[in-house]
Amino acid sequence: MNGHRMLAVARKTLRSLRHDRRTAGFLIFMPLFMIAIFGYTFGGDLRDVEVAILNLDTGGSDGSVADAIIAEISYGDTLKLSILSDGHTDPLSTAEGVVRDADAWAAVVFGQGFTAEVEEGIAAMKQGLPVSPCQVVVLLDGSNPNIAQAVVAEVTAAVQRVLVTEYGFNPPIAVHPEMIYGEGAEFIDFFAPGVMGLAAMMVTLMLSIISFVHERANGTLDRLLTTPVTEGEIVGGYALAFGLVALVQSTVILLAAVILFRVEIVGSPLLVLLTIFLLGIGSQGLGFILSSNAKNEFQAVQFMPLILFPSILLAGVFWPLEAVPELLRPVSSFIPLTYAVDACRSIMIRGWGLGEVWPQLLILAGLAVVLLTLSAYSLKKRR
Amino acid sequence: MTEDVVVTNALTKRFGELVAVSSLDLKISRGVVYGLIGPNGSGKTTAIKVMNGLLRATSGSARLLDEEVPVRGVIHRIGYMPQEMAIYTDLTVHENLELFAGMYSMSRGNFEGAEKDLLEMIDLAERRDSLVATLSGGMKHRVSLACALVHDPELVFLDEPTVGVDPELRKGFWDYFAELKSAGKTVVLTTHYMDEAVRCDIVGMMRLGEMIAEGTPESLMKAAGTTTLEDAFLANAKEGSV
Repeated sequence: MNGHRMLAVARKTLRSLRHDRRTAGFLIFMPLFMIAIFGYTFGGDLRDVEVAILNLDTGGSDGSVADAIIAEISYGDTLKLSILSDGHTDPLSTAEGVVRDADAWAAVVFGQGFTAEVEEGIAAMKQGLPVSPCQVVVLLDGSNPNIAQAVVAEVTAAVQRVLVTEYGFNPPIAVHPEMIYGEGAEFIDFFAPGVMGLAAMMVTLMLSIISFVHERANGTLDRLLTTPVTEGEIVGGYALAFGLVALVQSTVILLAAVILFRVEIVGSPLLVLLTIFLLGIGSQGLGFILSSNAKNEFQAVQFMPLILFPSILLAGVFWPLEAVPELLRPVSSFIPLTYAVDACRSIMIRGWGLGEVWPQLLILAGLAVVLLTLSAYSLKKRR
Repeated sequence: MTEDVVVTNALTKRFGELVAVSSLDLKISRGVVYGLIGPNGSGKTTAIKVMNGLLRATSGSARLLDEEVPVRGVIHRIGYMPQEMAIYTDLTVHENLELFAGMYSMSRGNFEGAEKDLLEMIDLAERRDSLVATLSGGMKHRVSLACALVHDPELVFLDEPTVGVDPELRKGFWDYFAELKSAGKTVVLTTHYMDEAVRCDIVGMMRLGEMIAEGTPESLMKAAGTTTLEDAFLANAKEGSV
């Protein structure tokens, strides 16, 4: 070991960094960015989970127990309540429809004689007679087990708090969940669509960034541009290739999820693949634009964590969007993966078709068109 | 009257303060081999890049095959081989040729014929299915040349086509350029090798972005009173710097 030579190598490495100011800046900025985004995201609890309330309870002599429970639920900020009118001809179907259309994650239904049943139960208990528990029905969208569990837990806790406060003991009230979607769904059913979207995005973005920097550095891009091929055709060709790569990858993940983990795909697998294809070509466009701002592969890969960390944490892959702190929620709306994961989950767990997921697909397609157009424009601009 | 396939008028390209090409006036007739010669930094490559639309001229204009640069309508009649390798090393020789043929929408039949002839010319028929990454530097250069010629262009720009090519094969290249010329095609090339520039019909000598002399190799040598093109260049360069 020669210390002088070792120092010379170290000096050379640090000097290279000094000449590459962007990399030097990245080395400072990246840890700050990571700690900020991890800190905010992990610090976040579930907030503002949309829940509909159908209160058919006519109340009793001392007012309505249902009203008290609803007031207790709305006291916290985990659930965001919307009260459904009981004036419909079939209010129960309305409540179910709200969940079925994903306007709310759950609908909490208090029956007409809820207070009366509670009071009867309490009276029976005081006399030592057997009582059958009265029910609070929670119609649940179980496509997101995190949220489903949180809703049931919140409602149960609110019921217990009210009854213990009001009556001094815990009368038999059962919170009864009824699954509208995701009957028997497990966490793997929730993760599989997210992981599939994340993997497709990561690979496409990485391939795209590296390939284009390579094309520029080797002069092949310039050379192609002296042939009749247009900028749009180059970008489109890449999008097609990487979109297909994303498709193959997603097929492998889907098959593995079904065969190894018994993930159930309620909707159309083809629609899932179409979603991933759109995400893949959008990611390719994003990768192209990022690579046009990099001089070499080293600078290009620096973009990866800038895109990937927000996507992993803020797009609803592992944690529900409702767990994203309010401050960062607008960021989620700008991440293409958010829409892809939402669409894939809706297709795979809720069994939704094109008629329901078209808004997400339209956004993904729109983003893909915008990003690819900007990519082609960035090629024209450099001439 | 011979047709001019390359015409530039006061073509100028600046990079900030640096004038890479200064007021270049060129007229290159159909069916000639035209050589731009000069030392590094004389503006040869920049001039060719501007003519091929890869760089935008700062001022002046250029026309190729009677169309203003950057050309679109006649682009399929033009071939370009850049100085750097600029081929896909992760593809085979055949796949590279097929890619560039695809850029020009060649039919399979035409491509197969062209590929066979070109692979013979560059002496790489046996390496058709080898990955370019596994070839030597000279071989890669030859593949790059073949990619520029695969669509049978009538006007070809070759930036240093014989660099890294051994003398025997270099002779083969020049014979091929002569063949192109006799088929009515125009070859515009740059070279450092003054000895081989003698084989051009017309030579343009560039220095510091300016054309310092132009003519047939014989006329240039005669005017400078020298027996080699290299000495003729040095004489012209000296005259220009006085």
